[in-house]
Amino acid sequence: MAELLRAAMAIAGKDLAIEWRTKTAFVSSMTFAVLVLAVLFFARDPTAVGAVEVAPGALWVTFTFAAMIGLNRAFLLERENRAMDGILLSQVPPVAVFFGKLAANLVFVGTVELVSLPLFILFYDVPIGRGLPALALITVMATVAFVAVGTLLSSMVVRTRFAELMLPLLLLPFLVPPVVGAVQVTARILAERPLSEVQGWLKLLAAFDIVFVTLSTLLFEATLEE
Amino acid sequence: MPPAEPLLAAHDVARRFGHRRVLNGVSLTLGAGETVLLVGPNGAGKTTLLRVLAGLLRASAGRVERRGRVGLVAHYSMLYDALTARENLRFFARLHGVEGRRRGDELLEQMGLAAFGDERVGAFSRGMTQRLAIARALLHDPDILLLDEPLTGLDDPSCAKVLQVLGELRARGRALLIASHQLAELLGVVTSIGFLVKGSLAAVEPVAGRRADAITARYREITARG
Repeated sequence: MAELLRAAMAIAGKDLAIEWRTKTAFVSSMTFAVLVLAVLFFARDPTAVGAVEVAPGALWVTFTFAAMIGLNRAFLLERENRAMDGILLSQVPPVAVFFGKLAANLVFVGTVELVSLPLFILFYDVPIGRGLPALALITVMATVAFVAVGTLLSSMVVRTRFAELMLPLLLLPFLVPPVVGAVQVTARILAERPLSEVQGWLKLLAAFDIVFVTLSTLLFEATLEE
Repeated sequence: MPPAEPLLAAHDVARRFGHRRVLNGVSLTLGAGETVLLVGPNGAGKTTLLRVLAGLLRASAGRVERRGRVGLVAHYSMLYDALTARENLRFFARLHGVEGRRRGDELLEQMGLAAFGDERVGAFSRGMTQRLAIARALLHDPDILLLDEPLTGLDDPSCAKVLQVLGELRARGRALLIASHQLAELLGVVTSIGFLVKGSLAAVEPVAGRRADAITARYREITARG
């Protein structure tokens, strides 16, 4: 177990160090996030639709699509000079590779979300103060679900010719359930309604986390084989 | 005293890619202190054989037995361009469970790269990258070292350095399998030579006392026979 953790930490640390140095995915994701938030804000007729009504959808479209840019990059790093072979030759268990990649992706997507959130509040001027802990909870729950599947699919498509196109195509159907749940819960939080009204969605999101993380962990090894 | 068990044994190994058979029943053993040079025309299956022996590719039929740690130098570097030479070695050392700082510096010194340890690999020349790739493969002091065209891109001094390292490894009882077209350069370090033609190992013959031109003539004879 300690060996698995050590390997996972090394892989996550390496991925984050490379991203910190190059900032390729972060700059792309943040540019995308700002553009989406701005476009969706200005596309709305403020006399007909209130900001609070479109804000939950805008927030989750921004989070998920910005995250996809980072997820795409996760295994492209390993394709360069076929570095993944070097990792596999070290005999680390595939599950350690998965958890390392998952951890790095969660940190990356979490950072993008953290930086996007103040911009979202600035654009939409939504009452988020008291609802912040609940919004943080729901963000973590939905993010874990789609990043787990995204990590698995990113590894699966990396050897295909159109990896960057394939990932969104395959990932979008899996994104629908957690993102719909997240939008529903976020709408209640922004309307300052009690979370008890969306207990069903919260349970469903927790179930998505368990199912998606477990299945992705189990299936990951198969994506490494040529 | 019974003969020592080989460190590496391939039994009737075959590998297909779709309908294309790349390896046809290759059997080969490699004992401690043995160095086999694998020669064969382009497309003969040398790279595929090395990848199967390293455990990176599953054999479609047959089996491979490894008794010891395996290192692989491929014709791609398995290194991260955005990291420095030292960071690359430390990362792979961590995966191998080796203390990376000391071992990495030792190998950088051995490969004549000590002065470039803090430079990004992306800025390295082909020859420097190749030497660093060899250092990466030696991090965990493998018992079996598989090398695919290890002298490619090296100038004469670098070539001499690599040959010296290979000679030292052989003297320390490591088993080496080298796929290369550079027969004359490698003749001094190899103990036998294997002729791989159309995915089959046509012959494995001792090198002792034979000159490069005699081996080249034999190679031509075997490849002409098909």
